[in-house]
Amino acid sequence: MSTEIEELSELDLSKFFDLPWVCIVWDDPVNLQSYVTFVFIKLFGFSKEKANQLMMQVHTEGKAVVTAGSREAMENDVQRLHEHGLWATLQREDHG
Amino acid sequence: MGEFKGTPATGDLTVALSNDELHILINLVEQLLELLGERNFAHHYQSDDPFAQLMAAQLMSMEPLSAPEDPVLNRLLPNAYADPDAADEFRKFTEPRLRQVKQQHLLYLREQLVFPVDHELPKADIAISDAQQWLLALNDLRLALAVRLEVNSDTFEKFELMPDSEPKKSLLAVYFWLGGIQEKLLDHL
Repeated sequence: MSTEIEELSELDLSKFFDLPWVCIVWDDPVNLQSYVTFVFIKLFGFSKEKANQLMMQVHTEGKAVVTAGSREAMENDVQRLHEHGLWATLQREDHG
Repeated sequence: MGEFKGTPATGDLTVALSNDELHILINLVEQLLELLGERNFAHHYQSDDPFAQLMAAQLMSMEPLSAPEDPVLNRLLPNAYADPDAADEFRKFTEPRLRQVKQQHLLYLREQLVFPVDHELPKADIAISDAQQWLLALNDLRLALAVRLEVNSDTFEKFELMPDSEPKKSLLAVYFWLGGIQEKLLDHL
């Protein structure tokens, strides 16, 4: 690989294209299902149906994307979820 | 015991707890406060004095930036990013507040629980002034216990078959009891 290409591959192109970030909630064996649903409604204003559906996705698939947006907004969501004891992380939206 | 009555909306939410239950809860709350490590600085956080707040904030900013070694703290104050560098950077700015929030909920719960003990009441009908703080504090207590007891998806099955001689059994009983209380509280919100 030439130096030029190497330098190019190190460029963070996602910043250039401004890809959105996502907030992910991970399954854990402790948080009650009713509690997780409650927290989704409280923090994100979801309908009971949507909150319940996301909770079930976390439970059955091990994780679910709960919100998407700017990095700052996702950092804020993760922080609020941590305050409520949910296991959450943020990352760039995965297109792969 | 552990029964709730009323609702937050009507301002008459209460929980009935026996003396034994109060003592168990207070003990758990104090252990977790100690683990969160800012017990000594609690009065700073509560203080309206800007200087005390500044000093507390400075003490906090010297905390290590990497994830806490204790698995309970690691669960209560988890990494926000999979990438360790990004996680540490985020933690530097957010962990002090996260600790503070959790500590405030626990201090509040402790205050509600010690009142009937201090007044030597035989049992307590505690008027819950802030159900949200109760809920979050109870959840953190359950998370902490679960990490220490290595709770996973088949723990309940194992618990039911456990002989009474098993040392973990009584703490697991407390853990499941807390889950029941939290569920009942959610039903009243």
